[in-house]
Amino acid sequence: MSSLALRGPYWVTVRQYRRTLWLAGAAVILALAVIGGLRIWDLQTPDVHVEGGFTHPADDNRGYGTLRMAMEYFSMAMTLLPLLVGAFVAGPLVARELESGTYKLSLTQSTSPARWLGSKLRTATAAALLTTLLLMAAYALGWARVGGSSQLHWSDRGSYEATGTALLGHVLLAVAVGALVGQLIRRTLVAMAVTGGIVGLVLLILGALRWDFLPVTTITGPAVENASVLSMPEDGLIMSQGLISTFGNRLPGWFCFTDGTPVGACRTDEPIAAQYLDYHPQSHFWPTQLIETGIVLALAALALFAAFRVLRARHP
Amino acid sequence: MTRDGIALEADLLGKKYGGRSGRWALRECEFALPAGRVCALVGPNGAGKSTLLALAAGLVRPTEGAIRAPAREQLAYVAQEKPLHPRLTVADTLRMGRELNPGRWNEDAARRVIADELDPRALVHHLSGGQRTRVALALALGKRAELLLLDEPMADLDPLARHQLMGLLMADAAEHGTTVVMSSHILTELEGACDHLLLLHGGRIRLDGPVDELLSAHTLLRGPVGDLAPHTVVESRTTGRQLTALIRRQGPVEGPWETTEPSLEDLLLAHLRTTEGAPA
Repeated sequence: MSSLALRGPYWVTVRQYRRTLWLAGAAVILALAVIGGLRIWDLQTPDVHVEGGFTHPADDNRGYGTLRMAMEYFSMAMTLLPLLVGAFVAGPLVARELESGTYKLSLTQSTSPARWLGSKLRTATAAALLTTLLLMAAYALGWARVGGSSQLHWSDRGSYEATGTALLGHVLLAVAVGALVGQLIRRTLVAMAVTGGIVGLVLLILGALRWDFLPVTTITGPAVENASVLSMPEDGLIMSQGLISTFGNRLPGWFCFTDGTPVGACRTDEPIAAQYLDYHPQSHFWPTQLIETGIVLALAALALFAAFRVLRARHP
Repeated sequence: MTRDGIALEADLLGKKYGGRSGRWALRECEFALPAGRVCALVGPNGAGKSTLLALAAGLVRPTEGAIRAPAREQLAYVAQEKPLHPRLTVADTLRMGRELNPGRWNEDAARRVIADELDPRALVHHLSGGQRTRVALALALGKRAELLLLDEPMADLDPLARHQLMGLLMADAAEHGTTVVMSSHILTELEGACDHLLLLHGGRIRLDGPVDELLSAHTLLRGPVGDLAPHTVVESRTTGRQLTALIRRQGPVEGPWETTEPSLEDLLLAHLRTTEGAPA
């Protein structure tokens, strides 16, 4: 991190938080080294060819197994990244200055309060986005090999965020929420905890809502005894499946494993006409990402606006 | 902005902390400090000295009234607790002064305060209270401000450093015509250094004016007990039939008393003692 080209409050911010910046750099290098190393280890054992021209990793490929495990932890870490960024901005960057009184020093130099907070937030944003992008690059390096295998579906929490724009949006929201909460709660640790909580809550809520943004694709087929005739294309995300009665009602249930009546497809209480499957095809990935990013950025803009309003109200 | 020749002016200034049911830290303050003065801001603990300085520095908004001070670029402020970034070195802290005050910063003025007393590579975190004061004052003087607001600047310094820094500060202020407002508990440090006095008590101004005028308006009396009218008695004590009193004169003093001009310390102590129990 070169501080030579930096001027004014940017130099001060970088100098003040140089240890945090080094830590972020170290995390990126560690992630790249671990994933890169595991990919090299994985290459040592050739894949097994199976009929139809497909290949799959050999059973004794411990490099592949370790890479998969590392990627599962990495997914989890990536969802925690916005919480960390938010906690840092709220606590050490903003609340600690107010708590320890160093804002009296900063705000009586020649820089205005808006420039003071603005330079801090811009520095934090640049560092957080760069770190996130590099971590996403490391993630993509592993994802190219293990993406799509079990627990690492494109729609899974962690993987979904780390392979699209949503994570960048959540990181920006974390910076803005941190700037607001840090000023309102002028206590370092409390501000960190509250910001982490808010950012985590937004992640949880959007994680629960994001597959309702777009209408699902539905396929139907005849109700056949003991078999699903519906094959989902494109490695989709199944949202719901069941039977359709002759009256057109959707009913819970699936094809029968037991012997049933010829027409009713094991539901003797209802005359069954067909079966259905609702799913999100993989082509919904980017539209969903962009809608979520849009929502998060709108929230971030609101929080940032509020943060500067609070600053203006407090400091002339 | 300030009027010509006035460095700091308060107009029915008031500040209340803690919302509607809060406590008034400062109330109905009215004064105009001419430029180039070295003003002592005196008063007991909780009198409102720090609040007044923070208002002047533009760190807090007044609850009522107004304070007119130079713009942010033209004033320097040293808060009572001498806040500094603990993870910066002494050299970094001075660099910060340069970075945050482009076009104003004077490295020599700052370095004179640091002198050879501090290792530039030392982290602020590891400095003693007195050393931190030195760094904070260096930042304030390096800024080349028109108005210097110092909250208890000398409290953490040993007598030697206090003497040296006070001398430096006064020489610098005299050379550049800087206006200084300095709060202090240590009365002796003000004597000789300050030419203007602002006495606060209970959030209100009790005494305001040039030191020489205030001193010559008061008289210290010693003699037999008697009626001191028409003069205003600031403080009087009787020992047997002997009276000692500090009065604010209304016309010449006529009577059997021995009169002397009080020292600044006499004046301050008399006012502080008598306002002690007075309603704020």
